[in-house]
Amino acid sequence: MKWGNDLSTFVEKFRQYLKPGYYDEFDYHWTMTIDLDRCTGCEACVVACQAENNLPIVGEKRYAQNREIKWIRIERYWEGEYPDVKMGFIPMLCQHCDAAPCEIACPVFATYHNQDGLNTQIYNRCIGTRTCAVYCPYEVRYFNWFTYTWDEPLEQQLNPDVTVREKGVMEKCTFCIQRIRLAKDNAKDDDRRRVRDGEVVPACVQSCPTEAMAFGDSNDPEAKVSKMMKDPRGYTVLEELNTTPSIVYLKKAHAES
Amino acid sequence: MSISVLDALRPARKPALLGLVAVFGLLIGAWVHGKYFSDRSPVQPIEFSHKVHAADNEIPCQHCHIYADTTPVAGVPSVSKCIGCHKSLPSVRDQPEILKLMAFWENREPIPWIKVHDVPDFVHFTHKRHVKADLECQECHGPVETMDRITRVATMRMPWCVECHTEKNVEHGRDCWTCHK
Repeated sequence: MKWGNDLSTFVEKFRQYLKPGYYDEFDYHWTMTIDLDRCTGCEACVVACQAENNLPIVGEKRYAQNREIKWIRIERYWEGEYPDVKMGFIPMLCQHCDAAPCEIACPVFATYHNQDGLNTQIYNRCIGTRTCAVYCPYEVRYFNWFTYTWDEPLEQQLNPDVTVREKGVMEKCTFCIQRIRLAKDNAKDDDRRRVRDGEVVPACVQSCPTEAMAFGDSNDPEAKVSKMMKDPRGYTVLEELNTTPSIVYLKKAHAES
Repeated sequence: MSISVLDALRPARKPALLGLVAVFGLLIGAWVHGKYFSDRSPVQPIEFSHKVHAADNEIPCQHCHIYADTTPVAGVPSVSKCIGCHKSLPSVRDQPEILKLMAFWENREPIPWIKVHDVPDFVHFTHKRHVKADLECQECHGPVETMDRITRVATMRMPWCVECHTEKNVEHGRDCWTCHK
């Protein structure tokens, strides 16, 4: 009898060790799909993000020092040799990995996985060790090396729903948490338990002129993203690292020549 | 001849007296600070009394703080809101505080009220959700209807928020991104 008890506690402990307090299932599982066939590299998403999330303009000198802050950036790459060159773009933003390396790194739990499958970043908790940026394989975490200011009329356009970050704080894409929060708030006003598909539109998705991006809850099989994810062109970046990103890219299709 | 310790203590008399005065001074200073200078109960530009308005005249909170149930901020009433009632109240028109109000109205200036209940900029707080969850205003703001000058009763700090969220079992009420933005 006693042996049985010991064994069950041991099994219990082992289970806890295997799953150290992480969510297995998400309430919502916010997911984004980006169709690279449609992406023209116009950087409208970059500008929209800059305006929505109070991103500072770091200036030419600090840009040269790799201290720019862009939660979403367009990476450009070339395919083929000179006469037959094709240019490709890939928008790179926080992948909100379900098994995120950055979350393991943070000593103060400023970044963790929440119940909506989002990779959070709590600015007032962050102590600026920058370990998460080192662990991130996608290089999408940005550190505030200075407290940036906005010139006289420009501070009027700051978004009141987003914190203005200070020196010594890490920051990254939040999937526009303020918009997710607003949609949930509106859903509660209508006595709805769930947010409807298409109610949450992050700034980058909203601004995309070719509608290359889609955003929604992949727990909902009827959502647009859930259907897009099943596309045979779908892949996740650096899949071999097993970070299980929440962003699915749809490959650029080339006509067989 | 008896031996007394009083003689030995005599040189310590003066510092002891000074110490006593200092303690009294500190106590009085703390009282004055709390009453007139602390951010818990600042002296407002007009000695507006919530007791007179909310208790004696039984005006409901949302008559003036009209946005409390529809937006994140409850809303400080505009001067025109005050004047709307006070122009038809000749009985109190000659009181000094009302004359101050009239001066603001005639100069077309807003009243520079001092904010008593404030949360830091990295906190998302919405009145709407709390009012719609059937919370009484007094649960956070204290017995406002008994106060002549508004005093902050709660600490307005995170442990205080989390305590209530835990107690009331708010859905995801302890997730950081529920309140931090």
